[in-house]
Amino acid sequence: MTENIYAPHLVTIEKVRDEAEGVKTFTLTFKDQTVGEAFDYRPGQFGEVTVFDVGEAPISITSSPANKGYFELSVAGVGKVTRALHLKREGDLIGFRGPYGNGFPFGEVESNDILFVAGGIGLAPLRSLINQMFTERNKFGKMSILYGARYPALLCFRDELSRWAELENSEVLLTVDTAPDDGWQGNIGVVGSLLPKVKIDIEHTVAFVCGPPIMIHFVILDLLKMGFRQDRIITTMERRMECGLGKCGHCNIGGKYVCLDGPVFSYQQLGELGESI
Amino acid sequence: MSEMKIVNKAKLIEFLENLTPDFEVIVPWRENGNLLFGSLAYAKPEIDFIDRPLVPPKEYLLPQREELFTFTTKGGEIEVEAHLNKERRAIWGIRPCDLYGIKTLDSIFLSSYIDTYYQARRENTILMGLNCNEPCGMGFCSSMGSGPFATDSFDLLFTDLGNRFLVEIGSKAGEDLIERKANLFTTASDEDKGRSNELEKQCKQAFQRSVNLDMVKAALSKAWDDALWAEESKSCILCGGCNFICPTCHCFNIEDIADKYVQASTRVRYWDSCQLGGFTQMAAENTRKTQAERLRQRIYHKFSYIPANYNGVIGCTGCGRCIEVCPGEIDITNILGRMK
Amino acid sequence: MKKILTTCEFCGCGCNFYLGAEDDKVVAVYPCTSHPVSQGKVCIKGWMGHEYIHSPERLKTPLIRQGDKFSEASWNEAYKLIADKLRQIKKQYGSDSIAVFASAKCTNEENYLLQKFTRAVIGTNNVDHCARLCHSSTVIGLSQTFGSGAMTNSIPEIGNADVIFVIGSNTSEQHPLVANYIVKAVRRGARLIIADPRQIQLTKLATIHLSHRVGTDVALINGILNVIIAENLVDKEFVSSRTEGFEELKQGVAGFTPQKASQITGVPTEKIIEAARIYATGKSSSIIYAMGITQHTTGVDNVMSCANLAMLTGNVGKESTGVNPLRGQNNVQGACDMGALPNVFPGYQAVTNNELRQKFEKAWGVELPSQPGITVTGAMNRMIDGDLKALYIMGENPMISDPDMNHTEKALKRLEFLVVQDIFLTETARLANVVLPGVSFAEKDGTFTSTERKVQRVRKAIEPIGQSKPDWKIITELSSYLGYKMDYSSPSEVMNEIAKLTLSYSGISYNRLESGGLSWPCPSPDHPGTPYLHKEKFTRAGGRGKFFAIPYRPPAELPDDDYPFTLTTGRVGFHWHTATMTRKDWAMDREYPRGFVEINPQDAARIGVRNGAMVKVTSRRGDISLQAKVVDTIQEGLVFIPFHFAEAAANKLTPANLDPVAKIPEYKVCAVKLEKG
Repeated sequence: MTENIYAPHLVTIEKVRDEAEGVKTFTLTFKDQTVGEAFDYRPGQFGEVTVFDVGEAPISITSSPANKGYFELSVAGVGKVTRALHLKREGDLIGFRGPYGNGFPFGEVESNDILFVAGGIGLAPLRSLINQMFTERNKFGKMSILYGARYPALLCFRDELSRWAELENSEVLLTVDTAPDDGWQGNIGVVGSLLPKVKIDIEHTVAFVCGPPIMIHFVILDLLKMGFRQDRIITTMERRMECGLGKCGHCNIGGKYVCLDGPVFSYQQLGELGESI
Repeated sequence: MSEMKIVNKAKLIEFLENLTPDFEVIVPWRENGNLLFGSLAYAKPEIDFIDRPLVPPKEYLLPQREELFTFTTKGGEIEVEAHLNKERRAIWGIRPCDLYGIKTLDSIFLSSYIDTYYQARRENTILMGLNCNEPCGMGFCSSMGSGPFATDSFDLLFTDLGNRFLVEIGSKAGEDLIERKANLFTTASDEDKGRSNELEKQCKQAFQRSVNLDMVKAALSKAWDDALWAEESKSCILCGGCNFICPTCHCFNIEDIADKYVQASTRVRYWDSCQLGGFTQMAAENTRKTQAERLRQRIYHKFSYIPANYNGVIGCTGCGRCIEVCPGEIDITNILGRMK
Repeated sequence: MKKILTTCEFCGCGCNFYLGAEDDKVVAVYPCTSHPVSQGKVCIKGWMGHEYIHSPERLKTPLIRQGDKFSEASWNEAYKLIADKLRQIKKQYGSDSIAVFASAKCTNEENYLLQKFTRAVIGTNNVDHCARLCHSSTVIGLSQTFGSGAMTNSIPEIGNADVIFVIGSNTSEQHPLVANYIVKAVRRGARLIIADPRQIQLTKLATIHLSHRVGTDVALINGILNVIIAENLVDKEFVSSRTEGFEELKQGVAGFTPQKASQITGVPTEKIIEAARIYATGKSSSIIYAMGITQHTTGVDNVMSCANLAMLTGNVGKESTGVNPLRGQNNVQGACDMGALPNVFPGYQAVTNNELRQKFEKAWGVELPSQPGITVTGAMNRMIDGDLKALYIMGENPMISDPDMNHTEKALKRLEFLVVQDIFLTETARLANVVLPGVSFAEKDGTFTSTERKVQRVRKAIEPIGQSKPDWKIITELSSYLGYKMDYSSPSEVMNEIAKLTLSYSGISYNRLESGGLSWPCPSPDHPGTPYLHKEKFTRAGGRGKFFAIPYRPPAELPDDDYPFTLTTGRVGFHWHTATMTRKDWAMDREYPRGFVEINPQDAARIGVRNGAMVKVTSRRGDISLQAKVVDTIQEGLVFIPFHFAEAAANKLTPANLDPVAKIPEYKVCAVKLEKG
């Protein structure tokens, strides 16, 4: 019998980590080993997560596909399903179906410098891409990671950020919007304020921008002002989703479905969508 | 293709009843003036009628409420049980607008990720169409190329010639049905076919409502910011009716209903409506805040996005039901007429 | 799949649709194209509002309180306990220490049986229901002016009106199919006058919108009456042949010049004059009103003012005219008709009238109480005083629907014995000693009477959930435990009994209802029903309508320095009243998951509140915190809160200030203060 496209696969929570304030990272394995072995995805794709007896929610995959045998989701507890997910413990079963969505361009951006600009939990899908790129390091030029959050407790993946900063031909710049008094020594300002602090070879750089809609909006304006071409700015869109696979009609922007034709779009593609973003 | 057949009107019920051991036979029937689809087992069907049931037969393929799964937690283990419906059904009396609607739904549900539940139902459903000899009250199918006579997407297609039906065979499944009671069918004559063509022509000339589809298509790129969306949506009370009774509307919502007393939940799929405010509501914001934007979405989805994504098939069959069902008296032909 | 034609369980429009039932579940809805009101249309509640029927939270067994918790019980145990307690309380404190709240959501048969139970078995006239809270002003106001307290014309007639005056009704949201007829009329060229302190959806189609201050309806209408008299637009023929009291009215409104009315109401003088001219010169002018004018300490006055206006211009007793109160609940009209009121038997026959009472005593075989009983609003005070010991509630949730929630809670908790018969464990049921599981409209047979006085069939589509029972069965079974036999094999038999005792329902039977609804008065088995009232003469004694000169009285609690804002409460179209049903429907919940307070942008700026921010709203009765919705459709100084949301209950703030005659609370006006957070 052909697979039921709506059936969630059973997935065990191997580990739960407090990633940041209000954010948890879950390490997951498929209960059915055959499914686990066949599972592959691209950075930027997402899955529909079932918390049984509560509901389903779309969540980006944050691990990189180079890691076999498990995958990771970083989740902010903001709605009915994600809050229920935060109450789950190691050993609990949840459901997962995916991967869905188009994923980030990878081979298409080889030989370029890559500029990552992320805000808050927006770093989660980019983390997948960053780690994947680091496994094929020689295909890409300089990697610059600019990351910010409203305040330090909201910064995710702190260990990894330190690790990335140590790697060759990479740089990591962090910032927070407001100055707290817990000893933050770093930059203060919105993440766009980090842009002037990096040397960017505009002609040979592709920018990936992920974060709250308002942050994306202003960062893209900055990038355009710097001279980036519209098709070299890559971002992700969010819409209310139900099925995650282009049938329920909820997530369309103009004629495109965020779950099928996205969630990754270039800024140029966004301009062609028709409906305002 | 196979030759056309003739069956006496008086013999139709016999033909349909013969199907009942192997199919649930669904026919139009009338109660208190209302035309509805129902099982042949329950009611005597209406053979002579002009109109079409207000709720189209899409609900046999995509029900108003459909249980997809039951999840049961038993001592740390979770059982996932799917509820696919593979019961065989044969629906008679489907108007060309509704046949076209099913064609559109097939394009959407049987492509890319094939919808498991829709497919299970679709594979087990036989479609027997009935051409329209008169335009219905609000219909404008002739402008949309979807009626009043059907051209494809049927297993059998009936045309009312007075005391008999002309029967076109559209598939092997349709042919098999005729074989079951072959003695009821004779070969159609040229006169019969000519009469059918006459009726189609007469019907096409009798339409009161029309839409200039070419002008609409040309206007799509210019009408986006038109004031007409705010004006036409003024009286919309967000009832969802226009989507629910539309033969091509397919948007749905999925809810998990949990019974905490037995640690089980049912995942249910329901018809949804893009005219409701909550349709695009996210945790932090709503990406379509005004009724004007929602009305525009409905029109563009039907006339721009579906044709673009599914090889030109249109998301509107011209059946006119959305005009009948609207408590706000919103008329799609007025809206389309204003798009220039 | 079975398709069963039934009447909607939500509002007073009385739409019909088919419920699709499969595997004993309601799974589909099909509009009814032949129905004169719904005409194949359905609002969102009709389409998607029935999921609550299968909610796992449905009560499936009787519950008996054990300390803080409830435990499941058998019907026998529950009935025995109730019968014993009622018997004991009746013996110890007398019949009048017990009261019954009937249900505007339950069927006519059920309301008839419950008031019969209250009077014949318990022996008191203490039976009332939520009509007290919404249209008691109407029942009294129109009875006094016209003789009959009901909608004078039928809903379809509105579609042919030349002028429609909507006052105090957000029709698009609360009576969508009435609004449909208004839209149709406007499309045909009718002129629409709206009087509402808020801009409502119909304002977009209106010829003129009068944004008067809350509670100034009498002043507004008196101003309009003044203009009509001054400009000689009175229908003299109608006034002289069909009415009495014109001279008193003329004197009464002589001082209410449009300038004076403008001063009180805040509506520009020219608009008052224009509205008067439009209404008076319409070929057929129809007044439509609802809670906006009834829920005031001057509720009766407001209604009588509308009656004045209609009579002055000859707009009663003719097609497409009239004074049309839009009854809210699906069967509030029916519950009133069935005598679930403390002062009348079924058919508005006074309990104090010896002859009429004897008729019922003969029919029911027992002596009946002759003193009028208490109202639902009066009952609360009697509970606090300790005079009322036991309360039996069917299908109502006073904790959320009554004003001054803290007061209501205190009252209910003082009772010795509380029984609640409902389909969910509501906020009120949680306080009960015994909870009995009734059923939804889809699980029983019966009739509802819509706002246009149309009696229609409700048909069973699925079996009762769990061990729940149809509400009429519960009443008859309980009655037998108290020694009074109520032997009916079906609701149809109950209707036959009703028809024998109630003239306006005499011609109604289930057989006749198979071919469609019947509008009362329907006094004989071959009478076709009555679309509009007062055709040749008014039902008032003497046959003439009476004018009343109404003085203007301001609302009971106005804003002051401590509480500088006016709060008005109301509803939204997606949720139904205390939202016991609709908050379990995903489509309604998704649209409005939580409460909100509408604030004018200037006011919001002044108190430093942005759209979506939390606001604390405080009145002299209590406080609630909820999200701000900054809109420019509301006047400065006015805020609006819908009462559906238990965790942000508007009725925590409202006062139990009552109309002196109707005893209806002034939900529409009280004073509050607003603070950030």
